[in-house]
Amino acid sequence: MMKARAILSLLLAAVMITVLLAGCASGPQQQTGQNGSEQQGKQETGASDQQKEQVVNIYTARHYEVDDVLYQKFTQETGIKVNVVKGKAEELIERLKREGQSTPADLFITVDGGVLNNAKQSGVLQPVTSAVIDENVPKQFRDKDNEWIGLSTRARVIVYSKDRVKPEQLSTYEDLASDKWKGKVLVRSSTSLYNQSLLASLIELNGEQKAEEWAKGIVNNLARAPEGGDRDQAKAIVAGVGDVAIMNTYYFGQLLYSKDPEEVKVAEQLGVFFPNQDTTGTHLNISGVGLVKHSKNKENAVKLIEFLTGEEAQALMSKENYEFPVNPKAQKPELLQSWGEFKAQQIDFAKLGEHNKKALEIMNKVGWK
Amino acid sequence: MRFAHAMRGIRKQTNGWLFVGLTGAAVVLLPVFSIFISLFHPPNENWQHIKQYLLKDYVLQTIWLVLFTGIFTVLIGVALAWLIAAYDFPMKRFFRWALVLPLAVPPYIAAYTYGTMLSYTGVVQKTLRWFEVPVNPRFFDVMSLRGAIFIFTLVLFPYVYMITRAFLERQSGSYIENAVLLGRSPASIFVRIVLPISRPAIAGGLTLVLFEVVSDYGLTSYYGIRTISTAIFQTWFGMYDVDSAVRLAAWLMAGIVGLFILERALRSHRKFSASTSKSRPLVPKKLRGIRASAALLFCGAVFAFSFLIPFVQLLVWAFWSYEDVLTSGFLDLTYNTLSVALISTAIILFFSVAAANVCRLQANGFAYVLSKLVTAGYSIPGAIIAVGVLALFIRLDQQLAPLYARMGLGESPLVLSMSLVMLVTAYVARFMAVGYNAVEAGFEKIGTQYTEASRLLGHGITRTFFKVDLPMIRGALFSGAILTFVEMVKELPLALLLRPFNFETLATKTYQYASDERIYEAAVPSLFIIGVSFISVVVFHQLGKKLER
Repeated sequence: MMKARAILSLLLAAVMITVLLAGCASGPQQQTGQNGSEQQGKQETGASDQQKEQVVNIYTARHYEVDDVLYQKFTQETGIKVNVVKGKAEELIERLKREGQSTPADLFITVDGGVLNNAKQSGVLQPVTSAVIDENVPKQFRDKDNEWIGLSTRARVIVYSKDRVKPEQLSTYEDLASDKWKGKVLVRSSTSLYNQSLLASLIELNGEQKAEEWAKGIVNNLARAPEGGDRDQAKAIVAGVGDVAIMNTYYFGQLLYSKDPEEVKVAEQLGVFFPNQDTTGTHLNISGVGLVKHSKNKENAVKLIEFLTGEEAQALMSKENYEFPVNPKAQKPELLQSWGEFKAQQIDFAKLGEHNKKALEIMNKVGWK
Repeated sequence: MRFAHAMRGIRKQTNGWLFVGLTGAAVVLLPVFSIFISLFHPPNENWQHIKQYLLKDYVLQTIWLVLFTGIFTVLIGVALAWLIAAYDFPMKRFFRWALVLPLAVPPYIAAYTYGTMLSYTGVVQKTLRWFEVPVNPRFFDVMSLRGAIFIFTLVLFPYVYMITRAFLERQSGSYIENAVLLGRSPASIFVRIVLPISRPAIAGGLTLVLFEVVSDYGLTSYYGIRTISTAIFQTWFGMYDVDSAVRLAAWLMAGIVGLFILERALRSHRKFSASTSKSRPLVPKKLRGIRASAALLFCGAVFAFSFLIPFVQLLVWAFWSYEDVLTSGFLDLTYNTLSVALISTAIILFFSVAAANVCRLQANGFAYVLSKLVTAGYSIPGAIIAVGVLALFIRLDQQLAPLYARMGLGESPLVLSMSLVMLVTAYVARFMAVGYNAVEAGFEKIGTQYTEASRLLGHGITRTFFKVDLPMIRGALFSGAILTFVEMVKELPLALLLRPFNFETLATKTYQYASDERIYEAAVPSLFIIGVSFISVVVFHQLGKKLER
């Protein structure tokens, strides 16, 4: 008797927890208005399709504040609500893959051409057709099947100590592997996608063997074992650990306009050099957006891509984040203008994805930590 | 007659407790099994590459990291627990709970904070430069294996401290008083009595430390340390090979379960429950003069390095950036974080108590392995568990599609996997270990004799639990609750992958900035995480005190 009551009370507790859980779970879900029940309800009450809440659902691996600002602007202009899940690119691709046809996502946004290509290869994207987008974004910043569209680019450049290095001494990425830079090169770890993509681009341009020799040369020339992020490499130059570092342009912008006066001082002591101007061009990394294959709000999604690649949005993105706009008409901020025009690597971004695995294998082999 | 007897035996075994315990186990085990299964898939060519270049180096680095972090956390944690439990000295009442606070600092935040503080532009080198002291930047190089051990020790020792202290305060009185009466010196008491009798508590805390270190990716990847966790993510993110990544994780988990079985074998014949009918709480001895100052200094130094210094530094940074970062949205973030953490903590404690009670009362090998598997989920990087949970929920949604269609939700929608149920399930699966270990340590020290006495007097398991066991494990339950709650407040990888649309927690907000190396902006949400954990520690502490009276 006693036992039966005890079991009953336990079961009751379990049920209560489940109810609590479900209650909490449904709260934010209804807010997002994407689970369908809300829309369904409205349809049943005879509301027309236009009154149904218009949404576009995004999985994004870009974590910049300016993106949220742009989504808000988009909602203001069009009345389309933007729902966002932020995460890591590869994890989001995995989520898209597993969700398959049922996925609620309409757009996938990420940084790095290799990852964009990986998303394409994974079969989670579909081609975008829009004259506006074709007009906004030059061909080299789009996937050849338009499965993803570039949003912004960043150059992976060489920064150097203004005191100890003359810009004339610098020339190419390849040169950093030569003996004259022994113990002077700084670069972050091979876990960084930026380094993997850089090496992938060198595999494409110079071939696997040359690329491996280069990676080996870089490792031999390192001033210290790779650690920290891109900005930490810049600081290490000023601290005197090394003389030159490989880093992304927008990190340099962040340093220069940092709230910490010490960081500004660091940036002021450094020069920015765009390598390979006489040869293959400076390595570019691209961030972009793809239309999800099983998108349920395709029209809205395309509208958002059109908005994000538009002149105004591009200028804002560039201003806030020191990234290069893909729309040639967009106004660039002062810092980017001061660097002038430069020659960029002319390779298909898809190749970066194709060679990524090889790049990582090489890095592991030569001991690039 | 015999049949009825057998039936009674079966009924005795299968009760509500077992049922709930098994349900809890299932929540954890389903994603874990989906990872283990990968061991039986044939390996692909990437696996060869991993074995050839990555495995040896990464395994070695992991072992060094775990070994030294383990040693230091035990040394610091047990020493502090002993000081606080056995002595009275100035500010002891403050340190008693304040030393738990470092748990509120997520390891990756501590890593960024110390990394930036000790960097060229950081406050330390800047100050030295200002005094024109020549600085060798390599001296301050925290981004190394040494540095990682340093940071992990600082933010993880509270696990050992908390569980050991709770044990010593309540259970060790008679042993230590007898030893004092027999004329043992404090040092000898510490080595010969305190360390051995607190072994289950230390093991419980150390297990959590070990799990945390092994599964960490944020700190290790920022500092460029090659651990198995980094190898897992390199395989996934660099080679786009989820299967090999999961396979690595499965090996990692197998290794950890193996370690447990070894530990179990090593202490197989010993029982650690008190054999006296009354275990007296320890009466603290008053320290005076230089000894009191030394105790104060030690506690103060540990507290300063593990909490105060990073906290003040984060405050300064937050002061620089709060104007751009702080919005009313932070209320929602805090609410989201709190509600998910509270619900998950409640569920975890519920299942932990049930599972631990079942394992205790049916002390057999099966129950033991089950209980260890339940906790082993903690050793796997969160993102890998996340994939397991994700796969599970999407399959569940597909199964439920006809039901959804009847409810008018449309063709094959993702209902469960687009709700918080998925995230909460993942939290339960991953952090069961934290609650379970605390509860288990509590059960272990009371043993089964009281329960058996109560059962002999005719009470059922449930009545016995509420009347006899629960009052005795209350302390353990409280530590379990704080640990789990704080753990989830700062949790990142699961929240990142499994959250529904527009759902942000304080940790995901922190990540948003930190992933972009914007540590000053990240300081604001970090401080919120620390604040929430701080308040919860204080609240739990007060509640616990009230209950003890």
